Amino acid sequence: MPYKFIEHTADVAVEVEGSTLEELFISAFSAWKEIVMGTNSQSREQSKKFLFSSKTLEELLIEFLSELNYQLYTKKWIINFINKILIHKVNENYHLDVEVFGESIKKKDYVIKEEIKAVTFHKMKIEEKNGNFSTIIVFDI
Amino acid sequence: MEINGIKLEKISDYLWEIPVQGGMIVPGRIYASKKMLEESIKNDEALKQVINVAHLPGIQMFSLAMPDIHWGYGFPIGGVAATDLDEGVISPGGVGYDINCGIRLARTSLNYETVKNKLQKLIEVLFNNIPTGVGASGAIKKLSPSEVKRILKIGAEWAIENGFGTQEDLIFTEENGKLKDANPESVSEKAIERGLDQAGTLGSGNHFLEVDVVEEIFDEEVAKVFGLFKGQIVILIHSGSRGLGYQICDDYLKLLVQSEKKFGFKLPDKQLACAPIKSQEGQDYLSAMRCAANFAWNNRQIIMHLAKKSFKETFSISDAELDFHLIYDVSHNIAKIEEHKITDSNGKTITKKVCVHRKGATRAYPAGSLLIPEKYRSVGQPVLIPGDMGRYSYITVGKERSMDETFGSSCHGAGRVQSRHQAMKSAKGKDLIKELADSGIIIQAKGYKTIAEEMPQAYKDVSDVVDVMHNAGISTKVAKLKPVGVIKG
Repeated sequence: MPYKFIEHTADVAVEVEGSTLEELFISAFSAWKEIVMGTNSQSREQSKKFLFSSKTLEELLIEFLSELNYQLYTKKWIINFINKILIHKVNENYHLDVEVFGESIKKKDYVIKEEIKAVTFHKMKIEEKNGNFSTIIVFDI
Repeated sequence: MEINGIKLEKISDYLWEIPVQGGMIVPGRIYASKKMLEESIKNDEALKQVINVAHLPGIQMFSLAMPDIHWGYGFPIGGVAATDLDEGVISPGGVGYDINCGIRLARTSLNYETVKNKLQKLIEVLFNNIPTGVGASGAIKKLSPSEVKRILKIGAEWAIENGFGTQEDLIFTEENGKLKDANPESVSEKAIERGLDQAGTLGSGNHFLEVDVVEEIFDEEVAKVFGLFKGQIVILIHSGSRGLGYQICDDYLKLLVQSEKKFGFKLPDKQLACAPIKSQEGQDYLSAMRCAANFAWNNRQIIMHLAKKSFKETFSISDAELDFHLIYDVSHNIAKIEEHKITDSNGKTITKKVCVHRKGATRAYPAGSLLIPEKYRSVGQPVLIPGDMGRYSYITVGKERSMDETFGSSCHGAGRVQSRHQAMKSAKGKDLIKELADSGIIIQAKGYKTIAEEMPQAYKDVSDVVDVMHNAGISTKVAKLKPVGVIKG
């Protein structure tokens, strides 16, 4: 399991991992999806591409997860799969180039089971140990 | 006393101090009983967060924690800190994601005996009229960006202009439902977009609308001034600035994390990211935060109006018969520029303006304050403390001591004792809707999950919290409310 939930009194905390940074981000996406969606959405109807840049990997991960929230709660669009993902560093900045598949939830009988207020910096530290990347993510619910 | 390696000195039975150590600029002070410290507060990292907040540049006198303190992000929930306007900082983490999350209490002329036979219908009507749940929308038509910007500027006045209430409602709202110097230009397009269809929506999680009965009166004189009587039906509304507020916090937190080097701060937690109040970044955040606060006041105003409409619809009565009035609306997630008595490290006391961060804390101004409605100036400001949906909530009143000790602040609620996951496990096999109904509480929610996660056992007993503030003389008990009907997201 590339992610596991950790007990947190007020909110939702999860430990995610991956053998590459890209896998770590995919694990974070999978955990996010388990938190927010009460139904199994699979469609690859539409694709969207996003580009993010940040000074740190933690900021990059928060940018990415915050976009998932924005797409779901405001655009009413659920991301079902990550098709392509690439993280690279140019000079002092990290860049995330991602293509996702998803669908509009407006006309579907989908249940959003949780409202994530935000992705916090709390306890977030992306570390590499023995070729494995990991971090804790705390979602403010 | 020592809790998790942190030494606490006893000031009184209800107040404990963490002396200055390491990079702390001021001591930490925690309002709590010994029992609360040993049995609940020790279970998380909230005390460490009280210490962390004491590192904020320009912090004045104390890093404070109210008795409902628990682990938050950067600041603990239940944290209060005042910072100097010239040397100090403003921190989005000291306000939280749900900017101006707060509580509104309204009274009616009805008593429990009159409503009990139609309570089920009332809850259904409330649930139909007030949008609840994740991403709820539709109380009013989707607004244009320029209309949302107008709400950000004028707050609850927008609701009154559009027929959702009366001028009297503004008088009984903290800051009259509008913080000045709120410039929508400081708010991102994304945040505005998130607000387009969320005006007048309750939201999800711990947000609720509750129909309560005044079960017990502790202070007859004050209760009379607030318009309360035993057996009376009142409503409590708990909601905030919704996605718009979350986005503003998110936007500025990212900006300030990136600006850490520029300002030269070395803080123990990234979530404490902050900017000098005087800086452009600090002023922009203050402005955007005020916009979100105004959005939240407008939100609760619309919800209250929809609730009033639901009462009239259910009981087929006139305005005069219902006699529906707002008692007060308080914010418990906000930062405001306020005047307070500040004692420096040499013991010299002066009165000056400071930036008071209240994160999970309620303003509790005493009798005589010109900043509370004239009607309440002889007794003090109502301080509204919700409990859980199965037990009770409290109405308390601000006391002079709050101005001496807590920058005019008190507690804000019960605080969770079980995680959502634990609550779901405890709820397994139970019929919570029936259990609540058996104890006289009708509940309607979007899904059973919310009911399970928010079950009464998941929360601490709010009485313990309220008693600490009462005994410390910060805000004293006026009345106890018992829920009889609840709607949730």
